[in-house]
Amino acid sequence: MGKDWLELTSEIMNNLYRSEEASARGDAALIVISLFFAGLLVVAFTSNPIATGTKPGERAPLFSGKAYNGDGWETFVFDDLLTPEWTPNSTDDAPWIAVEFMDRLCGHCVSAASEVGDWSETYVKTSNWPGPDVLFVAVHVEFQGSSSRADIEDFRDSNGHTFPYFDDDGVGSFKDWDIGATPTYFLVQPNGIVAWNSGIQNLAWDAVSEESITIGDPNGDQRVKLNEAIEQITLSYGGATE
Amino acid sequence: MNEYVILSFHAVIILYGVLLMTPIGEAIGSILVNKWPSTSTKRGRMLAGLMFVCTGGFTVSAHTLWMHNKLSEGGSVCSGSSILNCDGLIGNPDYNTVPFIGQPWGLLGMVAFCVLLWIVVVIAKEPLAFSTPTFLKAGLGATIAGLPVIGLLVSYEIKEGLICPFCTTAHIANIIAMVAFFVLFKMYESDEWAPELKKTRK
Repeated sequence: MGKDWLELTSEIMNNLYRSEEASARGDAALIVISLFFAGLLVVAFTSNPIATGTKPGERAPLFSGKAYNGDGWETFVFDDLLTPEWTPNSTDDAPWIAVEFMDRLCGHCVSAASEVGDWSETYVKTSNWPGPDVLFVAVHVEFQGSSSRADIEDFRDSNGHTFPYFDDDGVGSFKDWDIGATPTYFLVQPNGIVAWNSGIQNLAWDAVSEESITIGDPNGDQRVKLNEAIEQITLSYGGATE
Repeated sequence: MNEYVILSFHAVIILYGVLLMTPIGEAIGSILVNKWPSTSTKRGRMLAGLMFVCTGGFTVSAHTLWMHNKLSEGGSVCSGSSILNCDGLIGNPDYNTVPFIGQPWGLLGMVAFCVLLWIVVVIAKEPLAFSTPTFLKAGLGATIAGLPVIGLLVSYEIKEGLICPFCTTAHIANIIAMVAFFVLFKMYESDEWAPELKKTRK
């Protein structure tokens, strides 16, 4: 049985080796595979793709829809907040972006609302903050129950927030941002790269060295808060300097 | 370098292939005859032309993959205020990857044109093999299978109101390849495929 199988395999291999048609296919395959890999190598050596995701160093997923800005529900496009040409050495006033995924029915979001409001007013140049402006955006998700747009308006206004509240209902950006619980905070570089993710805590992205760095926990409460991340990350290379 | 100058390099490769397949191919293909004697025949010029078209399709697909990567870095590679704008399509995460596979369209184009090129090279190396009609059918089938994909990508362009010239060049290369495979298949069924055998028979 074993011998038959061996003889058969040997015969097939022998036929393949002697067959001119098989040789033509093999030669053609070699040419084409070489071309394919040459093309891939050129692309690989001349570009440095960045994956889309929410880990530090990845490109933040884009989203768009309707957001409440205090006057009404207007079209909101996350890309519009970005400054694609920003570099760590930029001297322009490109703002960083803080994104909060929250649910008005989540207890932690309710208790954090006051300090988030304070941070949104602290990290702007007009408040003597030496770093770059940080734009805040709240993305309202429905993890605990349903909320109407009127409920979202009430929540924003009753907490005195001045930043836009994006309604994620029907958009589902929380899936792209891999949100498992609320509140979850992100700090995004002006060029759209995630600098910090509260789910990953003390790991941040250094735009200069283009690698992950560890940031501290100044309060020693075993967790890095959004304001601590903003102060450690944006000030470490000056941000907007002019 | 201006992106349209670079695009013209890909277009020139495809155009040369198309011209080789036309009646004027005999004149413009004369520079190839010394190196590749098969291009002295109509069949040889058709196959050589198809190789150029597939190579042009491959290089332009590789270029769109490069653009995809560059745009993910945050750059701008082909944008403008006109309707011709690659950034708005290749840089759009809603449309720039193959559904279910999640890989950039440019990579799919590279693979597709490599497969077509392999089929053409195999036919060119062994034009009288028993497997030739199978390869011709495979080439024709593969290019026809590309039409729904082109349709999907054109629907994205219509939706966004933009045209990506690089993507369009790759689509045109696929359509030219489809027509060329069809012509080759018809040629195979006639005596034009191997006129030397016809003479022998006589």
